[in-house]
Amino acid sequence: MNSELGEFGAQSALVAAGQNAEWALWLTVLMTIAGGVIFLFVLWAIASAWRSDGGGRTWWIVGGGVIFPIVTLAVLFALSTFALRAIAGPQDEELVIEVTGHQYWWDVVYDPEGVALRDANEVFLPVGRPVTLRLKSDDVIHSFWVPSIAGKMDMIPGRVNELTVTATEVGRYRGQCAEFCGLSHPLMSFEAVALEPEAFATFLGNLQGEARDPVRPQERQGQEVFVEAGCPACHTIRGVAEGAQIGPDLTRVGGRASLGAGMWEMNLGNLAGWISDVQDMKPGAEMPSYNHLSGPDLRAVAAYLESLSQ
Amino acid sequence: MTVLDEMRDYPGARKGEPHKSFEEVWAQPPGLKVLSSVSHRVVGKRFIATGFIFFLIAGFLALLVRTQLIVPGNTFLDAETYNQVFTMHGSLMMFLFAIPILEGFAVYLIPLMLGARDLIFPRLGQFGYYCYLLGGIIVLSSFIFDAAPAGGWFMYTPLSTSEYTPGLSADFWLIGITFAEIASVTAAVELIAAILCARAPGMSLTKMPVFAWYILITAFMIAIGFPPLIMGSILLETQRLLGLPFFDPALGGDPLLWQHLFWLFGHPEVYIIFLPAAGMVSTILPTFVGKPLFGYGFVVAAVVSMGFISFGLWAHHMFATGLPILSLSLFSAASTMVAVPTGIQIFAWIATLAQGRPRLTVPMLFVLGFLFIFVLGGLTGVMLASVPFNWQAHDSYFVVAHLHYVLIGGMVFPLFGAFYYWAPHFTGRMMSETLGKWVFWLMFIGFNVTFFTMHLTGLRGMPRRISTYPEGIGWDRLNLISTLGSYVLAAGVLLFIVDFLRHRRSGPPAGRNPWGAGTLEWLYPTVTPGFNFHAIPPVTSREPLWDQPELNDREAPTVEGILNVMTDGRRETVGCDPVTGEPIQILRLPHPTWIPMFSAVMVAILFGATLASAYWLCAVGAVGALLGFALWGWEPSDSGVTRFAGLGHRLPVNAIDRRSHMHVGLIGTLLILFALFGSVVFGGLFLWNTQPEFADATARPVQLWAALTGAGGLLVALFAVAARNAAMASRFAGAAGLGVLTAAFAAATAWGFWLTLLPVDPWGTALGAVLWAMSGFVAALLGTVVFWALFNVARKLASAVQPGQAMADFQLAGFAKGTGLMTIAAAGLLLACALGGVG
Repeated sequence: MNSELGEFGAQSALVAAGQNAEWALWLTVLMTIAGGVIFLFVLWAIASAWRSDGGGRTWWIVGGGVIFPIVTLAVLFALSTFALRAIAGPQDEELVIEVTGHQYWWDVVYDPEGVALRDANEVFLPVGRPVTLRLKSDDVIHSFWVPSIAGKMDMIPGRVNELTVTATEVGRYRGQCAEFCGLSHPLMSFEAVALEPEAFATFLGNLQGEARDPVRPQERQGQEVFVEAGCPACHTIRGVAEGAQIGPDLTRVGGRASLGAGMWEMNLGNLAGWISDVQDMKPGAEMPSYNHLSGPDLRAVAAYLESLSQ
Repeated sequence: MTVLDEMRDYPGARKGEPHKSFEEVWAQPPGLKVLSSVSHRVVGKRFIATGFIFFLIAGFLALLVRTQLIVPGNTFLDAETYNQVFTMHGSLMMFLFAIPILEGFAVYLIPLMLGARDLIFPRLGQFGYYCYLLGGIIVLSSFIFDAAPAGGWFMYTPLSTSEYTPGLSADFWLIGITFAEIASVTAAVELIAAILCARAPGMSLTKMPVFAWYILITAFMIAIGFPPLIMGSILLETQRLLGLPFFDPALGGDPLLWQHLFWLFGHPEVYIIFLPAAGMVSTILPTFVGKPLFGYGFVVAAVVSMGFISFGLWAHHMFATGLPILSLSLFSAASTMVAVPTGIQIFAWIATLAQGRPRLTVPMLFVLGFLFIFVLGGLTGVMLASVPFNWQAHDSYFVVAHLHYVLIGGMVFPLFGAFYYWAPHFTGRMMSETLGKWVFWLMFIGFNVTFFTMHLTGLRGMPRRISTYPEGIGWDRLNLISTLGSYVLAAGVLLFIVDFLRHRRSGPPAGRNPWGAGTLEWLYPTVTPGFNFHAIPPVTSREPLWDQPELNDREAPTVEGILNVMTDGRRETVGCDPVTGEPIQILRLPHPTWIPMFSAVMVAILFGATLASAYWLCAVGAVGALLGFALWGWEPSDSGVTRFAGLGHRLPVNAIDRRSHMHVGLIGTLLILFALFGSVVFGGLFLWNTQPEFADATARPVQLWAALTGAGGLLVALFAVAARNAAMASRFAGAAGLGVLTAAFAAATAWGFWLTLLPVDPWGTALGAVLWAMSGFVAALLGTVVFWALFNVARKLASAVQPGQAMADFQLAGFAKGTGLMTIAAAGLLLACALGGVG
């Protein structure tokens, strides 16, 4: 696997770049310190009990086993409920992004009830603005998790779960499916990209148009191969082949930083390898390996797809 | 009702081996016939040995997992194999190691600690063991058929449905595990009855060794906690085999229903594993302090409350499924509350330590290791109860770290301590203190290196159950450290095996009470003879060996007690009042027999044939199993006579009484059945609530038939009670007639369910399918009533029973009352549906 995902940004709950993650990190630090102190206290109690002889009082049990935990837990529960309210309280629902989990990729639709701009395997977020993620699944249970932005939320067939997130810092953050979903579960990641609001608006604007037209002859040939090989049965490229939603939307595939749901760097070589060897790179994916394409055809279609950046 | 005051003499020689001596009657069958043994000592050791083998297999799988993750992008295992390996690791550890091995210790120790010669349903013990063994073999055999389950030990739908997991792998899991679980629930019934009904004279509940309290509560938790998973597995397997849409969202099913049923089992399961181990700690620790457990009453109260609280926490495994905020807060609060009973126990142990001068033996080292690890695991558990933190940590390596701290710390360390502590009792020899210290430190260091690291790995964003990860995300070094640690941990386990094998031949002989313990299992010089006690001594203290000098001053075989004479050549032990511990009856125990093994093999054929879709073979297994159960029960109990039992007691044999072992066992069984029924009803109510439009779309059951079916349930119970009254008054003809009527009405009532549900299409909606499942379950119970009632009639017609021997009628009446209640409840629900309440 020739991945260099270090460049794709952190996938760590300890690097907070979203409101939810900040609350969780704050609780993590607080509880780790409190837990550490309690742990040391218990060790000390064991050590001194070991040395003493004839001690042992009922108030130890009442104090250490009943009163102390109740007080500590009440404080913790209050803090954690406060954080929970802050995270999950009613929020402005102007911006909705619908993310649907598939084995093993992410279908992303911006403003599903309005202009419904479809993309895949990358979720763009404006910094400082609450976004409601509407999480669904088309097959088995997946779970949407970008540790730096927010805790996880399951995507359950037959249900719609909502998760409101607010990115706080510009950057690229890796996310990954967190509910075991089958053979290629470890190969189901994606990127959350937090942009300044203006940049986000530009991104949405660009997403509205049709795909970039092929320029070079090889790209034009690639487009033909794309259509002839039957790719449009599953994939949409707006302006070329529309309607199919079985596989990821490829309108701006070349503009993504990664390939195969956040797994490989987006480049010509990886694209060609992917098309001819999907089942090797991602076992159990719905797409068959197109290893019957001739070398020139394969290079052409890869070149065409790579050129599709907006 | 009681027959205790009806003192009658024994009419003459009957079954039994009167020509044999006491030792001969209790002797193990020689050679291969030892497989027919029903002794709790033999069965308990088999549970322990088999469980340990599963531990080694599952541990080996864990090493494969760690080896795969040692470097990013590793190709040591492919994704499919990795998924099989982690699925089997979890499943074997939870279902085939943790519960069975702890039940094995309980089965072995409880009679010895409580002053009984055996558990009081020894044949059930043998049956359970073979179910466990055969179920385990079915699960493991999936490797041979290249169909090892790969859906995780939690088998979440829809991934585990035939659409996403075609082939047999999920079926191996569902069928094999469910079969093995039979052993868990039968052992639960056995332990409940043994603890409540077969204690030494004078051992009231408050004088019971604390280990027995832990096991009693655990057994009740198993009886209530396992049924949701058993019912869930049956529903899921039915969906896979017949296409009924219980969990299919397209037809009004819900994947979350499976999660609720799974965690309704899965969370109590954690405490089911922890409590017996904590009971071991509460037994071992006072021995080495030389003082009784401090705060016995507090500990018992804590254990009881833990039992209750543990059933209110299940949804904290589901915080990320989109539960409403209010539910989240409630379950979060409940989850933190469990820290209170845990804290009480920990401080009770600390206070006990302060009572005296502790000796740092190997078992004690493991107790200290347990405290260190388990306290950390408990603290991360409290962290996980906080919802915002949980959303980050859930399904990440933080949870992997937490659960191993709780389970390895809370169960494996006490277990290894228990091995060192009770090994002399098993083998008569001591294990090595030197090697033991090496075992401990290797395990302790290896464990902490492996799993402490994982807290950080998880917070750095590594999800669970991934076979590979890209380099450069920040997980490489942490995984390398964890993997190296796991090898050290494994070395510790390996050294333990070496020490165990070594000590059986060359360990120093243990002698009498090698640790200076206070509980009754150390009364005899090790190895204790197979009958446990020549005479069962009266007990006046929780630590009889410390406080009752008459037990230590004499050679163990000459200690005075009850049942010091054997009559009739039968295995016997004393039955007590469940609360006061006063002797109320003599319990006749079965001698070695092949029948339970035969029944278990037949049930295995039934399950295995289902797996192979050979339905004619299923019928063979089912008929064979029924035949086995009939043979099992055919020989009537010796009720109706009284005998002298020594120490001035004259006691009835196998009294037909509400306080008797059979009745307590029946209550335990009904508890399981009610929990199964409750699980399927929960399913119906859940779907009705979450998928109202599909509830509307479900056709209505027939009102008239629903009402008549409910009335039928009432009649079944009434006829069974009337048959019991007739049999207890020795009016056998009347009892037989009423028995036929009971069977007839039970059959008619089962038919009533069919007529009620005819308009409802089980394939149409999930709710319809659940209504059929609920009714099918109750109909199966009614079928049991038919079988049992006809069995009672046949035994009377064959003159196999004599006056006074009405135990089976007494028991059937209780069973029929329970079944009647469930029939009425089920019919009531169907009537509510029919009247439109559901829609």
